[in-house]
Amino acid sequence: MAAKDAVDVVIVGSGAGGSPMALELGRAGFKVVVLEKGAWYKREEFVHDEILSSRRNFFMPLPWDEPHLWRKGTDQPYAKTNEAWTANCVGGGTVHMSGYFYRLKPVDFRLKSEIGAIPGANIADWPITYKDLEPFYDRAEEELGVSGNAVPHKFLEPRKKNYPLPPLAEHPVAFEIDKACKSLGWQSIPTARGIASIGYKGRGGCTYCALCGSYGCENGAKSSTLAALIPAAVETGNVEIRPLCMAKEVTVDAKGNAKSVIYVDGDGVEHEQPAKIIVISATAVESARLLLNSKSGKHPNGLGNDNGLVGKNLVFSSFGQSRATFRVSKQKEQHPWLSTEAPFVNRSLQEFYMMPDNRFGFRKGGTLGFMWVHPNPIFAAVNMAKKGPEGVFGKALKDKLREYRDSKILEFEIYGEFLPNPDTQVQVDDKVKDKYGLPVASITVKRHPMDLTMTKFLVDRGEEVLSAMKPEKLDRIGTAGETTILQGGTCRFGTDPASSVLDKDCKLHGVNNLYVVDGSFMPTSGAVPFTLTIVANSFRVASGLVTRLKKGT
Amino acid sequence: MTSDSSEPVAPETASDTEALDDDVTRRVFVHHLSFMGGGAVLLGSACKDEPKKAVAPVTAEVPPGAPLVSKHQTFTNEEFAIVAAAAERILPKDEDVGALDTNVPEYIDRVLQTPQLTQMKEQFVPGVLALNRRAQRLVKTDFIKATAAQQDEVLTTFKNSGERTGENKFYEILVVLTLEGYLGDPSYGGNTNRAGWGVMGFKLVDHMPVDPAEGYDGLKKLHDMKCGGGKGC
Repeated sequence: MAAKDAVDVVIVGSGAGGSPMALELGRAGFKVVVLEKGAWYKREEFVHDEILSSRRNFFMPLPWDEPHLWRKGTDQPYAKTNEAWTANCVGGGTVHMSGYFYRLKPVDFRLKSEIGAIPGANIADWPITYKDLEPFYDRAEEELGVSGNAVPHKFLEPRKKNYPLPPLAEHPVAFEIDKACKSLGWQSIPTARGIASIGYKGRGGCTYCALCGSYGCENGAKSSTLAALIPAAVETGNVEIRPLCMAKEVTVDAKGNAKSVIYVDGDGVEHEQPAKIIVISATAVESARLLLNSKSGKHPNGLGNDNGLVGKNLVFSSFGQSRATFRVSKQKEQHPWLSTEAPFVNRSLQEFYMMPDNRFGFRKGGTLGFMWVHPNPIFAAVNMAKKGPEGVFGKALKDKLREYRDSKILEFEIYGEFLPNPDTQVQVDDKVKDKYGLPVASITVKRHPMDLTMTKFLVDRGEEVLSAMKPEKLDRIGTAGETTILQGGTCRFGTDPASSVLDKDCKLHGVNNLYVVDGSFMPTSGAVPFTLTIVANSFRVASGLVTRLKKGT
Repeated sequence: MTSDSSEPVAPETASDTEALDDDVTRRVFVHHLSFMGGGAVLLGSACKDEPKKAVAPVTAEVPPGAPLVSKHQTFTNEEFAIVAAAAERILPKDEDVGALDTNVPEYIDRVLQTPQLTQMKEQFVPGVLALNRRAQRLVKTDFIKATAAQQDEVLTTFKNSGERTGENKFYEILVVLTLEGYLGDPSYGGNTNRAGWGVMGFKLVDHMPVDPAEGYDGLKKLHDMKCGGGKGC
């Protein structure tokens, strides 16, 4: 295996974390190589084919090739799944995201100070404040192109300006949600989207095709890093993207600092890429796995894992959901808006982001996002058919398909705090290897009871909103889930090397040249989707790194 | 036509449940999908340890000496007829098109040849003749000769056979593949004239020139897919 020529920086992963880093370093004139395990799709490869995009391995690896071992509860057996993978492609999870873009609130950076320790949970204040990140939120929204309208409300985060792009056109049901919330004494707010509402920096404006989540965007309107950042990074002439290249290990020098990344290319050939600085951004699960699989004499338990904390404190986003079905034929007089076709609802409710006291069993709550049910027909029909004794086929199934045709289904989903705890973590399993022969990530999830109390409370409130809109029926989907494509915590940052993995610059404690910039750094999940925060933080870390490299230290 | 009862009857044997751990896998998908929006319910996420090792190709089970007469890719003619009859019971023709009207059996036959569904094929194909044997025992005739009500009765026994049985798995795959054929992109061979979409009221494609355009071939994409780096899938 021949070593490639050394570069200034090698970045593992090209998603929400890796791409801003590549762009900033490239602009500053440093030579960057980005290793991306997935393919580099062109826009024309993103077609409206549900089977290809949503139901096979176009984005997600196959669980027998590259499983994540997954168990919910320490007393459960592991199952081989593709749980907690995000899209494997240039642009990562930002390519198939729906693009619900929220900022964290100042309270999210100091949760422990605000509400105190919680028994059974391991919450910690962040070593930075909202103020430290704020200019980089501005930057991220500007670079990616975020559409929205920031309105004053009781948890509006401080911001100097509105979103760079006007909001997307909303379905009139949005105003019905506003009315319903108002009748309950609450204030609904517009949801900002990582979708360009009008043409932006060479990208097309949204065409309202309605197929965002689980699809790639064919005209670049979705603010993926693939559409918004990668082309500009490549244009600097300093950034080389290497797709289909899977990082296996980070090697270290005699002092224990990072030396190179060993990777396998698309032809199965192994290479070594040395660099002055190594940045890992492969998702909170996969970055922890890469560090744990990078064992050496200096770091026998894995790189950066001298204190045993790599992979610990894994967090997702707490999930709950309900659906309201409106019947067009029966209710269109009552609800004239049922005759309108438009894909975006774009309403959120953050009334319960923080509770004033512990009366309902929790202080930190979350966000409700309202949306139409995803239009994928196979996904919908399989859910209707069910299986086992409750399964239906024949005329009963076809009647359900016809009922769906006559329905509009409005749902909300919860993005709630997910309390880190000692059992929820990523480990590596030496006995189970993926197709590259690497030990796979094994994930244990145990939910803190307070999360479930909180999620149920939010679902109850959401159902009050939906009920006030007088649907034909209301179905509760669940109150105890977690959204695993939103992940963080496995390399939490902090000032104390004994209780954190990264320092406040997202550099490994005790290793002078390795950074982690996906969601791994987040010691608490916050109660909004992570994506915008990961992008903003990567811009923040990149800014510091450019300064450092220019100084030559 | 009957089958020798001494042949392997995978979906009806207890040992077959070993290969069905993916039921657990599938369940964990259910509760977190909507952030991605109707997202990655990957099929056949089975849990075998050594999926890459050579397995006998699952194609036609032909009685010794008999010529293989099939114009199909996965099934013998006999099996294909059973699959077609079963799919039509899942989505029968009524005032709206059914599985046969929309070429669903062809979809199932073709899609089971894609590399992503190798394990599903291994689970599904032996179940076809098992379904026929169940019909012979339960309603005393071949599945394809049974009345619609009798076919429904046989399918219902498979459907209700318990969570970790091969029959249950067979039924689940049959339903999912029938719905994929009925509601998938027509380039895969089913959803003739987009009639399945008409029944569901789905009309979102054709906004853009790059929606599956003339000449698009979803099956070819699946066959050619390179995913996640390294060689092949």
